[in-house]
Amino acid sequence: MSSPQVTSAATTAGSSGDDVPPRRRGRTSRPDASHARSYGPGFIAKLVLMAVVDALGVYVVWSAWTQDSYGILAVSLALLVAANWVYFTRRALALKYILPGLGFLLVFQIFVVAYTGYVAFTNYGTGHNGTKDQAVEALLVQNERRVEGSPSLPLTVVEDGGTLGFAVVGEDGAVTAGTAEQPLSAQDDATVQDGRATEVPGYAVVDREQILERQDEVTDLRVPVSDDPEDGSIRTTDARTGYVYTSVLEYDAASDTITDTSTGVTYTPNDDGQFEAADGSTLAVGWRVPVGFDNFVTAFSDGRYAQPFLKILVWTFVFAIGSVVTTFLLGLFLAIVFNDTRLRGRRVYRTLMILPYAVPGFLAALLWSGLLNTRFGYVNQVLLGGAEIPWLTDPFLAKLSVLAVNLWLGFPYMFLICTGALQSLPSDVMEAARIDGAGRWRTWRSITLPLLLVATAPLLISSFAFNFNNFTLIYMLTGGGPRFADASVPLGHTDILISMVYSISGVDGSATKDFGLASALSIVIFVIVGGISALAFRSTRKFEEIN
Amino acid sequence: MAIPTPATTAAAAGSSAPSSRTLTDHRRMRPRRWFTELGWRHVVGVVAVVYAAFPLVYVLSASLSENGTLTGSNTLFADVSGANYAELGTTMFWTWMANTLVIAVATSVGTVLMGAAAAYAFSRFRFAGRRIGLTALLIVQMFPQMLAFVAIFLLLLGLGNVVPVLGLNSKIALIAVYLGGALGVNTFLMYGFFNTVPRELDEAAKIDGATHSQVYWTIILRLVAPILAVVALLSFIATFGEFIIARIVLTSESNWTLAVGLYGWVSSLREANWGLFTAGAVISALPVLALFLYLQKYIVGGLTAGSVKG
Amino acid sequence: MRRSILLAAALTTTLALGACSSGGSGDETTDEPSGESSSTASGGSLTIWVDETRQDAVTDAAQSFEDETGTAVDVVLKNFDEIRADFLAQVPTGEGPDITVGAHDWLGELTTNGVVAPLELGDTAAGFEDVSLAAFTQDGQVYGLPYAIENIALIRNTALADEAPATWDDAIAAGEAAGTKFPILVQSDGDKGDPYTHYPFQTSFGAPVFEQNEDGSYTSELAMGGPEGQAYAEWLGEQGAAGNLSQDTTYDIAVEAFKNGESPFIVGGPWMIESFEGLDLSIDPVPAAGDQPAQPFVGVQGFYLSAESDDAIVANDFLVNYMSTEDAQVALYEAGGRPPALTAAADTAAADDPIVAGFREVGADAVPMPSIPEMASVWSFWGVTEAAIVNGADPVSSWDKMIEDIQSAMDA
Repeated sequence: MSSPQVTSAATTAGSSGDDVPPRRRGRTSRPDASHARSYGPGFIAKLVLMAVVDALGVYVVWSAWTQDSYGILAVSLALLVAANWVYFTRRALALKYILPGLGFLLVFQIFVVAYTGYVAFTNYGTGHNGTKDQAVEALLVQNERRVEGSPSLPLTVVEDGGTLGFAVVGEDGAVTAGTAEQPLSAQDDATVQDGRATEVPGYAVVDREQILERQDEVTDLRVPVSDDPEDGSIRTTDARTGYVYTSVLEYDAASDTITDTSTGVTYTPNDDGQFEAADGSTLAVGWRVPVGFDNFVTAFSDGRYAQPFLKILVWTFVFAIGSVVTTFLLGLFLAIVFNDTRLRGRRVYRTLMILPYAVPGFLAALLWSGLLNTRFGYVNQVLLGGAEIPWLTDPFLAKLSVLAVNLWLGFPYMFLICTGALQSLPSDVMEAARIDGAGRWRTWRSITLPLLLVATAPLLISSFAFNFNNFTLIYMLTGGGPRFADASVPLGHTDILISMVYSISGVDGSATKDFGLASALSIVIFVIVGGISALAFRSTRKFEEIN
Repeated sequence: MAIPTPATTAAAAGSSAPSSRTLTDHRRMRPRRWFTELGWRHVVGVVAVVYAAFPLVYVLSASLSENGTLTGSNTLFADVSGANYAELGTTMFWTWMANTLVIAVATSVGTVLMGAAAAYAFSRFRFAGRRIGLTALLIVQMFPQMLAFVAIFLLLLGLGNVVPVLGLNSKIALIAVYLGGALGVNTFLMYGFFNTVPRELDEAAKIDGATHSQVYWTIILRLVAPILAVVALLSFIATFGEFIIARIVLTSESNWTLAVGLYGWVSSLREANWGLFTAGAVISALPVLALFLYLQKYIVGGLTAGSVKG
Repeated sequence: MRRSILLAAALTTTLALGACSSGGSGDETTDEPSGESSSTASGGSLTIWVDETRQDAVTDAAQSFEDETGTAVDVVLKNFDEIRADFLAQVPTGEGPDITVGAHDWLGELTTNGVVAPLELGDTAAGFEDVSLAAFTQDGQVYGLPYAIENIALIRNTALADEAPATWDDAIAAGEAAGTKFPILVQSDGDKGDPYTHYPFQTSFGAPVFEQNEDGSYTSELAMGGPEGQAYAEWLGEQGAAGNLSQDTTYDIAVEAFKNGESPFIVGGPWMIESFEGLDLSIDPVPAAGDQPAQPFVGVQGFYLSAESDDAIVANDFLVNYMSTEDAQVALYEAGGRPPALTAAADTAAADDPIVAGFREVGADAVPMPSIPEMASVWSFWGVTEAAIVNGADPVSSWDKMIEDIQSAMDA
């Protein structure tokens, strides 16, 4: 195999000099083909394409401007400028090839990473789900009480010079009307039809169409029953019927406080995104606020997790490495076995072997948990003649089962990769080895395997990272179980780090959800996996150099 | 290349030349040699296929049962009927199939084009940050996507306001999201493969006056066809089975992909419709198998027939 | 590269266009999951999330609402298990649905996050079964329009057992007399257990999950510890040892076995009935294992109103005046098979179907499943401990540890 390093050294000079003028001069000295190449179909295609890209880009930029989406504006402008620069400069040769993919990567992947990073520094989660305005609104509306025993009042939405009001028909048939500022007053001259006021002197009746256009105003409107706030106010939710409500909580925008009118306690906003009283009690609905490094501190301070953590960490590595090794070895073995052109029917064998890869992953997990059921599963009942082996409920066997199921799920991938990679092996080297009298095993061990490893090492590393975070499999197959008998947290012998994160942060439903904590922990995990992978890459580079 | 039957091999055994290694000669192998060279491979093949397929027999059995559970019974094929397959026609299954094919094909074509281009750049050009860039591409994909369901929603909400076709419930938006992952492990796979194509070929072409893009399109891509096929297949399968992002992006039923739709039939175990689901799963595996069957000739036939090995 | 871009663009554009056109009508225009009232015509517009079992019924009601009021209603199909998380994530952006279908035990989380608005049912409230309204009530306010009540009961194959067993022991005796493979089927789920299905037995020992206030609402004070809980734990251990309970009897296995006549009894809900076609069934109360009545959990299904709905009036109108009618509730019943929450509709359904009547009768003595957020901590320890005890773990110490762990998780 020709070493990439050597050739790269040889080509470096050539590539960097590729596009500098001397070369063009060289071309012009051979007029036969050069002009066709520079201004031929390829160049025109590039112009047309860039025109399309620019047109779309300008449209996006303009549209973002009109929509006040300045984030999108900035990003699209940057991408547009970058694209034009890259494709019209003579430099940035590599970027010409990388930019399209990089653009998608930046927009769609980096955003998720950045967003997770942002959430890690907030308290987003149950109780801190939205903005402060939303929280205030929710608190107020949740703490309105319909006056006990008060009647349903047929209601008409009316208008007094642009100010909305309500006209209601009381139980005695009398019509009263008012606005937010104007408490209900008797309207003796009002017309009532079918129990509802249809005409109220001094007010214009608002028709349904307009009501629907001003829905927020109507639902926010409170018309006081009298001058005494204790009597409550009329509100409606469907613009057909009104009810008398009294508010327990009142928000004062000027001082930014909420007061409980029944107890007189005043709540002020605290740093955690909640309204807090002097005695430390808080109102249920809070909002999202930045909390600095709190989530990272919390992540490492819950003592209940200290004990199972080490076990889980070890198992995570065993699982991730074990999965890669077993799937790779099986996939490689099968790829080699079926790489013999003399073998009839190998296309069919190959096709059927990728079956596990062609069915939805969650189906596989459900299927296997049924097959491995202790008393009734197919494996025990039929294959093992009625044995009662606790495949999924014994700590050791459960780990084995998880690895086995992952082998079933994962070997077709490795098989595909290896089948493809085997094609790139230089057959002259193999031939030479054979002529030298090397046995099949020796050829395989000292030539095939190392060459394959060079080609597939990055994939193995990334497969390791994938399995390190393979929450779906664990969650669907064992749910982390069997549980640790001695731990006080809902974690088990097959839980891996990422499923522990889901559990700690309640994202799996086992506690109140804390996305801030979940994000912080997933960043920690990313640092671990990324760090290990980066180190592994370094060593594969050395490996590559040796070859 | 017929497999020799014992009779013919036995008859031909006496005249077989032990030193011969050519393809045409193997029909005259001795039975024992036939077994050590090829026969055992059939044994491995059968075992591997059984291993790969036996759990799926359950799926097939459930799909043919009119009213059954997935794993409740070990009596397979107790009743056989095509009712579930017929019933698929009354659902939006075929619409989902069409959506999925469009999305998966677009994604895999896009992934191959963008990934191969990037791999070419990484393999052939030397530029600042090349090594780090390569490593970074791979490591970015390792980020735990646990908040993707919120982030992608917000992103498409914002994009949709500006460019409606990139908003929620657009298949183009979903393809774009998938293409965000085009540079990643697949780039690496191709990069490794590109490195095995001798540089002398590029050099020779360049001396003949070819531009870098001509070298890429007319020489390199042809030589790396096997890996392009593998990447296309991997990307196709991954897209075919992905439902976590798809269900966030595609909100209306008529836009769903197969994975989203099928998952919906069994997402609540109590209400699970296993018959319909398994029938759908069996059918949806077919395009993947067909594609693989078709691509195999590129995967295994590419290089050996090429000019590299001259 | 020039051509590479060209080809890439050409291909992606072609495919993208294909993606647009193949999806049928109204791809991008009509299905935006938002209730942008500003852009729509006079009638406003509604977006409603439903899952598959209610899709048709809601679509019908939406159609008649649309015809009468001119409001465009967009019924969006979602997977039931994703609705809660998506609702929580999307409502604060202002782009979520106006109305979503949901279960009553989400209530605590939804109100704590301020994503649901209270409903004023007014006089229609009187028409609903008390338990269904109680389930959707928090601090005196109703947050959902109930439409279905579901609970488990003892389903009996009358060909194998001719009378309803009063106690667990009776049931076992009758089951053994029937000579079937299983005396009684109580589903579990491997080592995750199934506390929902086992709950009636637990209550029969007088060990409810939380203390209840006088009005029936739950406090966050655990009530399943102490001698009552321990007695239940010991019972679990005994039945596990005797083979009457097993963590291996999953839902699939239990349903399949009952369908094949391998047991006269199964503890289960109305959702199973479809699988038992052809069997002659009777719905009986769950037999008590302790000395108190066995009370199953009641789950109530209903519709929640988004706190950020731009069309709150239309949405309220739709829920209070259209979905609470007998026609709508009966239609939902016919589509999903869940007994209606509206008394009149439930009467209609029960009159037609003794099975519905049977479940309804058992449900009358049932208790709502707690909807307080603390319940999350309970679920994550509960079933696992039960399964472990059935599988042979020491009952009392395991149970006590569970209570401690739940308490510390709630305090954390």
